[in-house]
Amino acid sequence: MDDGDRRALDLVKELVHRLLSTTTGPHRNPNIPSDQQYHQALRYAIRILSSRMTPSIAPDESAMVESIKRKLATQGKSSDALTFADVYTKFSSKTGSGSVRNKWAVLYLLKTVSEDRKIQKHQSTAVASNAFLSSALSGGLPELVGNEANRNLGLRNDNSKDSRGLVGKLGKIDKGYSDGSLSDEFQNLNCVSDNSRVVRGKSEVGKGFSGGLLMVSKDPENLRDMAYKEFVNLSKEENEVSEDVLVRDVLYACQGIDGKYVKYDEKADGYVLPDWMKVPRATRSVVRKLCELGFLFRKVKGYISESMNQFLAQDVGTVGQAFCAALQDELSEYYKLLAVLEGQAMNPIPLGTESACSGNYMSLRRLSVWFAEPIVKMRLMAVLVDNCKSLKGGAMAGAIHMHAQHGDPLVNDFMKRLLRRVCSPLFEMVRRWVLEGELEDIFAEFFVLSRPVKDESLWREGYRLHAAMLPAFITQTLAKQILRTGKSINFLRVCCDDRGWADAAAEAATAVGTTTTRGSLGYGETDALESLVTEAAKRIDKHLLELMHKRYKFKEHCLAIKRYLLLGQGDFVQYLMDIVGPDLSEPANTISSFKLATLLESAITSSNAQYDGCDIRARLRVKMMPHNTGDRGWDVFSLEYDAGVPLNTVFTESVMTRYIRVFNFLWKLRRVEHALTGTWKTMKPNCITSHFFSKLPQAVKSQLLLTSRKCQVLWDEMNHFVSNLQYYIMFEVLEVSWSNLVKEMELSKDLDDLLAAHEKYLFSVLEKSLLGERSQELNKTLFVLFDLILRFRSLADRLYEGINELQSRTTAETSINSRDKVKSRGKTNDKSSEPGSWLGEGRKALTERTGEFLRNMGNDIDAIGKDYATIFEGFISQLPVQQHIDLKFLMFRLNFTEFYSQLQPITRGKLF
Amino acid sequence: MVSQMDPEAARNALDLVFHMSNILDTGLDRHTLSVLIALSEMGFNPEALSAVVKELRRETSDSSSVQSTAPSAP
Repeated sequence: MDDGDRRALDLVKELVHRLLSTTTGPHRNPNIPSDQQYHQALRYAIRILSSRMTPSIAPDESAMVESIKRKLATQGKSSDALTFADVYTKFSSKTGSGSVRNKWAVLYLLKTVSEDRKIQKHQSTAVASNAFLSSALSGGLPELVGNEANRNLGLRNDNSKDSRGLVGKLGKIDKGYSDGSLSDEFQNLNCVSDNSRVVRGKSEVGKGFSGGLLMVSKDPENLRDMAYKEFVNLSKEENEVSEDVLVRDVLYACQGIDGKYVKYDEKADGYVLPDWMKVPRATRSVVRKLCELGFLFRKVKGYISESMNQFLAQDVGTVGQAFCAALQDELSEYYKLLAVLEGQAMNPIPLGTESACSGNYMSLRRLSVWFAEPIVKMRLMAVLVDNCKSLKGGAMAGAIHMHAQHGDPLVNDFMKRLLRRVCSPLFEMVRRWVLEGELEDIFAEFFVLSRPVKDESLWREGYRLHAAMLPAFITQTLAKQILRTGKSINFLRVCCDDRGWADAAAEAATAVGTTTTRGSLGYGETDALESLVTEAAKRIDKHLLELMHKRYKFKEHCLAIKRYLLLGQGDFVQYLMDIVGPDLSEPANTISSFKLATLLESAITSSNAQYDGCDIRARLRVKMMPHNTGDRGWDVFSLEYDAGVPLNTVFTESVMTRYIRVFNFLWKLRRVEHALTGTWKTMKPNCITSHFFSKLPQAVKSQLLLTSRKCQVLWDEMNHFVSNLQYYIMFEVLEVSWSNLVKEMELSKDLDDLLAAHEKYLFSVLEKSLLGERSQELNKTLFVLFDLILRFRSLADRLYEGINELQSRTTAETSINSRDKVKSRGKTNDKSSEPGSWLGEGRKALTERTGEFLRNMGNDIDAIGKDYATIFEGFISQLPVQQHIDLKFLMFRLNFTEFYSQLQPITRGKLF
Repeated sequence: MVSQMDPEAARNALDLVFHMSNILDTGLDRHTLSVLIALSEMGFNPEALSAVVKELRRETSDSSSVQSTAPSAP
C-alpha cells in the first residue's frame, strides 16, 4: 500500500464529502449528511471508480474542444464559445510542472458533468434516481438507471488494460478502507470485470441486467449505437471488402485515381467494381452511381490539362483560358470537399454523446448525400466541356450563355459565376474597343474583326462583325453600336489624326460611372455595358461629326462637287465648254491633258469659281478616261474632285466613278445643248439672208426656204427636248436631291448616317438622271438621241455653210472687187447692189448644183427627222414604264401641249 | 507519481479549469474541481469520475428531497 493509493483514497473521500455537502444547496435541508449516507456514497463512488467505465470516444483533445464549442454555439451562446476557446488556448499552452497533464480527461469531465446538469435542470425531479439509492441502501447491487428510465440500458464494454490496473488499485484502496463491508462489493466488481466481454444485442443486455451486472447508461441512444455496430459487423462478414475500403476507393475514384478495387474501366467508360468481387448488388450500383462523379471529373480534368498544354502551342484563346481557370476554381472547391470527406472517412468523427451516429466512418450512403450537389455541378461542367471543346472566344461564351438559361437556381448561379469569369476577357475587349479603340485580340475571339486596309477604306471595310463570335447576350444592335464606336475611334486616330476622342471616351466613362481601368464590367451587367456603349458612342460620334463638318468641311466639299462635277456652276461650265470645245473635237489621243488643265484653270479664273477657296479649287482636276482609237476628246474628258484623306471615306473611288458617270452624262447634255445653241446662231433667220433669198430665182428660193424651214422645225423640236431635259435634271433631280441631303446631313448622328445620306443622294441623282440600271434602255435611247442631235448639228452646219458658200459665190461672180471686203458687210453691199448676178453665165450650172445640194440636204434632214421622231417616240413611250422614279414632270414638260400624244394616239392610252 | 507541483502554475491551471467549468455551467466549485483534477491526474478514468459526480449529486438532491418529505410521511 503505497503513498499514491492512500492519497487517492483521501481524495475520493474528500470528493464524496464535498459533493454531498455542496450540492445540497442553501435552500435545502441544512442537515449534514449522515454518516451512513456518507459511507454508502463513498462505497458507491469507489465502486464506480473501480468499474471499467471508459469514455465511448477516443481521446482527442482538439475534437473535444470543437465539440464543446459547437455545443455552446448551437445553444446560442456564441460569446461563451469564444471565451471558452480563449480560455482553452491558455489552458492548453500551460505545460510542465504544476499544469494539468491529462487535459483531455479534464475537458471530458467538464463536458459530461455540464451535460448531465443540463438534463437535470430540464427534468427538475429525477424520475428514477430513487432506485439507485434504495438499492444501495438495501445493500444489493445498485442499478444505474437512465434519466428517462426507459430501460434502454447498455453496457459499455471495454477491455482496456488500464482499467484493469485501476480496478486492482481500487482493490487495494478497498483493503485499506476500514469498513469491511465494502470488500464483498469489490469481489463483485472483480467478477464483473472477469465476465465483461463483448455484449451484443438486446437479449444479452437483458441477460446482463438480470444477472445483476452493473449497467451504465451513458446516453439513451446506446441501443442504436449497438445496433449499428452489429450491422457493421454483419456487413463485414457478408462482404469481401469492408465499406470503409469501398468508401476510400470511391473517394479516390472521384479524384480520378484508381482505387484498390474501384478502377477505371475503358470498356465501360467509367469507374466500376470488378466483376469478380463479391459485393451485394446494391453496393455495386451505389458505387457505380457515386463513381459517375469520378467519370465526370476525369473528363473535366482532362479538358483542363489538355488546354493548359495547348496554351502556348495552339491558340486556345483568352476566353478559353478564362474558362479553364473558372473550371479549375470549381475543381478546387471540389477538392476541398473531397479532402474533408476523406478526413472524415479516415478518422472517426468525434461526436458528442448525444449524437446518434457514433458509427465512426463515412458510409457509401452518406457519400451519396454529400455528392448530390457536386455531381450536379460536375455534370454541368462536363456538359460545358463537351459542348465548348471546339469553340472559342465569343462563340464559347455564347454557348455557355445558352446553358445558363436554366430555371434551377443552383444551375443558374453556378453558370453565372462561371460566365462572369469566362466573359471577363470578352468584356474587357469590348471596353477597350469602345473606349480606346484598341483591338486586343490575338486569338480572333472578339466579334469585331479587323482587316488591314488602306486608310480611305478603313471605315467601310476595315472592321466587321464576326457573327459566329457574337454571344447571344449581346444583341445585334448593340454589337453594331460597339463596332461603330470602336471604328470611329480608329477612324479618328488613323484618318483624322485626332486626339480629342480620348476626352470624349473618358467623359463617357465617367458619365456611366465605370472606370476606364480593366475589370469594371462583367457578365450579367448587360445594362451597364449597353449604357457604356451608348454613352461612348454618343460622344465619339458627336466628336467625329463635328470634326467632319468643322475641320474637314464635309458640306462644302459636297457642294463643290455638286457645282463642278454636277455642273451646278453655270457660268463656269459655259466658259469651260467654250474654251475646251475645239480641243475636245480632236481625236482623244492627240489631246494633251496639260493643256486641258490650263484651260480649266482659266475657266475657273474667268468664272465665279475664282471666289471659291483655293482649297476647293486645288482639288478640281481634269481627268482623261482611258480611250480607244477613234474616240474624240468629248468622249474621254471629265473633271475630277480629290476629296483628300478623311473625306475619301465618303468620296471613295467607286463614289467618284459614279459622280463621273453623272458628269459625263451632264457634260454630254450640255454639249448637245451648246451645239444646238451654236447651230441656232448660224441658222436663225435674219434680214441679210432673207434679203439674199429674195434675190434668188424662184425655184431655188422655194427649195432653199423649204429646206431651211425643215431644218428649223427639227431644231426646235430638238431644242424643246434638250432644254426640258436639262431643266428636269437641274431642278427636279439635282436640287431636290441636294436639299434632301442637306436635311439628312443635319439630322445624322454618326458617320454611318452621313454616309448613308450621301449614298442616298448620289443614288437618287443617278437613278433620276436615268443612269440607273433599270433605266439602261432609256439611257441608251437618250444617247442615240444625243448622237442624232449632234449629227443634225453637223448637217445643219453643212447646210448653212453651203448656203453661205452659195451666197459668197454669187457675190464673187458679180463683184470681184468687193471680195476683199469684210464678208458680212460685203454681203450686204453686194446683194443690194447686184441683183442680176444670177443672170451670169455660170448661173445654170450653179442653180443645178445648188438644187442638188439642197435636195440632198433636204433628204438628209428628212432622214434625221424621221429617225429622231421614231426614237423620240420610243423614248416618250418608255418614260411611263420607269415606275421606280418619278418622271411625271419630265413627261409633262416634254408633252406640254399634248403634241406627242396627239401624234401617237395609240400610245396615248398608255401615257395618261 | 505526482510531481512536485509548482503551486503558482497549479493555481493558474485551476483558475482556467474553473473558468471553463463556469462557462459550461457544471456547478462544480473550485475545491471539488481541484480534487477531480487531482484524481484525473492520478489516472482515474474521466468517465468514471463524471459518473461519480453525477450520481452523488443526484443522490444528494434525491435524498434531500426524501428527507424533506420524510418527516411528514409517517
